[in-house]
Formats: sequence, structure tokens, C-alpha cells
Amino acid sequence: MSTDVIVTQNLSKTYGRPPLQVHALRETNLSIKQGDYIAIIGPSGSGKSTLMNLLGCLDKPSTGKIFIDGKDVSTLNEKELARIRREKIGFIFQKYNLIPTLNALENVELSMGFAGVDAQTRTKKAKQLLELVELSKRLTHKPSEMSGGEQQRVAIARALANSPSIILADEPTGNVDSKSGDNIMCILEAVNARGETIIVVTHNMAIAQRAKRVLRIQDGVVQEGHV
Amino acid sequence: MFRDHVKLAIKNLRHRLSRSLLTLLGIAIGIMAIISLMALGEGMQQAVTGQLSSLSDVIIVSTGGNFLSSFGGGGGSTGQYFTQRDIAYVQRLQGVKDVSTQLAGAAMAEYNGKSTIVSLTGMDINVMRLQYATQNLEAGTFLNEGDQNKIMIGYGVAHSTFDSDVVVGDRIKLNGEKFFVSGIFGKQGMGGVSSDTVVLMSSRDFQKLTGQSNISLIYLRVYNVNDAESIATSIQNQINANHGKKDFATATTMTSILKTVQTVIGILQLVLVAIASIALVVASIGIMNTMLTSVMERTREIGIMKAIGATNTDIMSIFIIEGMLVSGIGGIIGILLGVFGSQGLTLILNSFMAMGVSSNLTPIITIMSVVLAVLVSLIVGVLSSLYPAWKAARMSPIEAVRYE
Repeated sequence: MSTDVIVTQNLSKTYGRPPLQVHALRETNLSIKQGDYIAIIGPSGSGKSTLMNLLGCLDKPSTGKIFIDGKDVSTLNEKELARIRREKIGFIFQKYNLIPTLNALENVELSMGFAGVDAQTRTKKAKQLLELVELSKRLTHKPSEMSGGEQQRVAIARALANSPSIILADEPTGNVDSKSGDNIMCILEAVNARGETIIVVTHNMAIAQRAKRVLRIQDGVVQEGHV
Repeated sequence: MFRDHVKLAIKNLRHRLSRSLLTLLGIAIGIMAIISLMALGEGMQQAVTGQLSSLSDVIIVSTGGNFLSSFGGGGGSTGQYFTQRDIAYVQRLQGVKDVSTQLAGAAMAEYNGKSTIVSLTGMDINVMRLQYATQNLEAGTFLNEGDQNKIMIGYGVAHSTFDSDVVVGDRIKLNGEKFFVSGIFGKQGMGGVSSDTVVLMSSRDFQKLTGQSNISLIYLRVYNVNDAESIATSIQNQINANHGKKDFATATTMTSILKTVQTVIGILQLVLVAIASIALVVASIGIMNTMLTSVMERTREIGIMKAIGATNTDIMSIFIIEGMLVSGIGGIIGILLGVFGSQGLTLILNSFMAMGVSSNLTPIITIMSVVLAVLVSLIVGVLSSLYPAWKAARMSPIEAVRYE
């Protein structure tokens, strides 16, 4: 039996003040089940990133609530939010966002470091994860020494490091060629098959079609959608 | 956790190596200045203490105000003189080992056809050698016991009193009688009243020449150094009573002079360190500036770290450690430079300034100053990185991640 890993209640986000107020997200009610694989589609500026940032606890809602694993995160302070981001959520960005001064292994270890995992366990797990994304031969490479596809796979390994229950991927294939993109989606699907919840924002309909559930956003309004 | 922060900070610093090194250099120079100036001050303190404490059994009684104004100056004449009654009292006093006097007067001097009035000082040769021990000689030698018709003259007398310079071996006519110039004092430094205008001779020559014995200074030694203060007090009281004035005479012990001199040097030391601290303040602004730039450049990186779970405390600690590393390493380099720098500074001082006392100056680096330097540099590191670190921690992760 699957449980709801994310629930939102009347979730809204507005920027600015009236009369110049922008409603980035309106009264959204969502339930996302553990192990789900969701694609979020919609035109630019429709509120996709706003929703992702709210689900990822990078931003706070204007009104409404978000429950992650049953816990209301809209009232948490900065320190508690950092803890949720560290333990429950893995973020994958369009532009990889690896730390340029650290090599692949160190990048993957970083979030485990913030979580207080000891050095030995950390290195062992990071190596396993990089093996999973087929980068065992790139452990000591810096981001600048890797291709876009490789960097994105390091980013996936990093997102998985603290065994989060939710993976949020914001256009993960947006900056890589189609072959690498396919490879990245295969990895994410493999991760989903292990039971993690995957939420992908994409413009690519072919990618959206692979998801179990599609959400379409238009002008801040979220609807169940079809490709 | 802490080790990870240190590792991250080191990586960041190495990534911007030349900038880190330049920032570090600023701190190093500041600390170097503090260390070497403190070493110099300490050396000065000990040199003076060493020289003066060998005279700790000496009491000097002068007319008028503080003796310091005539120390090494050979009698700033007040026009008031001690009487034989005063001398007799001092000589009879218990605990006094020996007494000698310094006579003051004036004479018409003639050299190379030019005549002028100079002030004369007559004193026992052995006392003269003690009192002028800290004074450099420009040329010639001190007078010896038993020398007759020989004088020592100040720099000003030798170089600016007559039409041409006087050199050792010349003869100057004083009240018509010829005197052989045995030694010339070097130009006096900043401290004290000048010895530049002095003409020194033995008490015997003085009395023979002027027929007077105007005693301007009594110089005595005591058997027991511990009695010096009380003997000085009774001499001062008695002589003042003899003359019926409250402030006719001042009896000064070397110990009290030592204290005064030490206080003066202590203040000098503080001033030196305060000046050196300016360099440190500038350096800490340098750290802050570099770190603020670094925070700006790494906005995105900070955002990423927050997005993957770093707390504000993590971010702050990374930046503060970075600042402390820069200033700590800079501080250690500064201490090493300061050790060498103080040697160099001393060499320069010794060769350019004939300051008498400082001519045998050696810098002394105390553990205190090293500990102080390390502490100060770490504190500077923390203080100057506090604001940049706070700025970094306060960044909102979404804005930071979007930052290009």
C-alpha cells in the first residue's frame, strides 16, 4: 500500500504587492504517492519552477501548506528546512550545479558531509553511487573536465547520496544531447523502480510520456494532464 | 563536520591562490611590524635598564628642578649654587660612600681669532666618566685622572661656536689660558638637554682658572642601595632648610630615574605598536574586501550548498574558517618576518642614529609578543570574515542558484 509522500493544501505563491502582484501558483492541492513518477509540463513562466522550489523547501509558500512525509514544512525555520532538504529531498538542476572546486567524488560526498556522515562511510557510498551512474572512471575529475552528460550524472549521484525519498529534477536533460538525455532518464527510471518518488519538470514531450502521471501548469494553475 | 569545513575552505583558498596570497601578505606585514617594533621596544627597555641599574647606588643632588633636565647635559645652570655647609652635611651623612661635586661657571673662549663666552663645567674625572658614559664621542678620548689643562667639548662648541671647526688636538684659549681639546662629544640625540654646548674640565683646572667654586651639582654614592631613597630625602630636606627654601635642591636616585625612563620607553613602545596596528587594520579590511568579492563570486555555489542541505551555520563556518586560515597563516609568516625584520631594523637604527643608548641595542622577541600576534591575527580573521560570512549565510537558495 502506497502512502502520500507529498501533500499540498491550497498552496499559493505570490510575488510583489498589489496591484503589481504576480500569482505564480494558485490554490494548489496535490497528493503525490510514494514511488510515483511525475512529469510537470507547461509553458515558460507558468509556475513550474515555483512549484519545484516550494516542494524542494527552497522557498516558502505565501499561503497554504506543504506536508512532506506527513510533516508540515511551511512553518519550519531555516535550520529545520535545511534538514528536510538534506534528508528527504534530492535536487537535480538543469545546469548541473556541481561545485567547481570539488571533483566528482567530493561533490557527491558534500551533502553527506552536511548530514554528518563519517568520512569512510561517505567515500564508500559516493563510490557506489558513481558506479551506479557509470562514472567509476571519473572519480577525481573536476566538473570542468567532464561532459554535460557526465556532470548531470554526478549531480544525480549527489542527489541520491542521503537516500532521499523524493527526487526533484528541474529539466535534467535541458542542457545535454539527446543520447545523454536518454541515458539520464534511464537512470532516473531505475531509481524510481527502487521506490523513490521522482518529479521531473520538462519541456520534452517524449520524456513526459515516460512518466506515470503528468501535471500540466498554466498561469499558476495545476491540473492533471495528458501529453 | 568541522574538518569538512576546513577542507572546503582550503580548497576555496587554493582555487584563488594569488588573491589569497596577497591578502595573506597584508596580514603578514602587519604582524611583522608589530613583532619587530615590540622586539625593538623591549630591547631598548632592557638596554637602558642594564646601563642605569649599574648606577643604582648613585644619588645626584641638583639645584632647582628635576635632575633629569641636566642629566648628561653638564649643568643647566640655575644661578644658584650649593654652599660648603651643604657639602659638609652630605659628607657627614651616614651611609654615604663618597661625594664629589660639579662646578659651573663661564669663561671667555678664543679660538682661531674669534672670542665668545662659553659655559664651563668642572668635575671629578671619575664622576665625569660615569655621568657621560652613555654619551658617544665623535672624536678623541675621555679625560684621564691627573690630566691638566685638558678639556672635552660638546658638538656645538666644536662645530658652530667658532668660525672654523675645532678638532681633537687643537688648543682653545679660556680666559687667556690654553687648553688642549682631548675629546669631542657626538651630536646629541633627541632625549635630554643638550650636551652640545658643554666645556668639561677637571675640578682642579676649573678652580685654578676661575678662582671660583660654584657647586651646581653634588654627586654621591651610598653603601647600601636600599638606603638610597631615604638618604636622598634627608639630603633634600636639610639643604632646603639650609637655604630656607622649599625647592632649592632636588635629590634624585638612579632608581627613580630608571622608573621614569622605563615609563617613557613603555609609552614609546605603545605608540610604536599602535602605529603598527594601523597596518593590521588595513590588512583586515583587505581580508573583508577579498571575502566579500569571494561571496559574490560564489553566490551560486552557496545556493547549491544550501539546496543540498547546508545550514546557515555551515555556510558561515566555512567562510569564517577561510578568513581565519588567511590571517592565521599570514600571522605565522608575519612572526617569522618580524624576527628577521627586527634584526634588520636594529642594524639600520644603529648605523643611522647615534642615539647613545641604542648603539648597543639588540631586539628581544618575547613569548608574550608571539602569543599576542597569533591571537590578534586570529581575532582579525574572525572579525573581518564575520560580515562576509553573514552575508553569504543569509542568501536565499533559489536566488543564489539562479544567479549567473
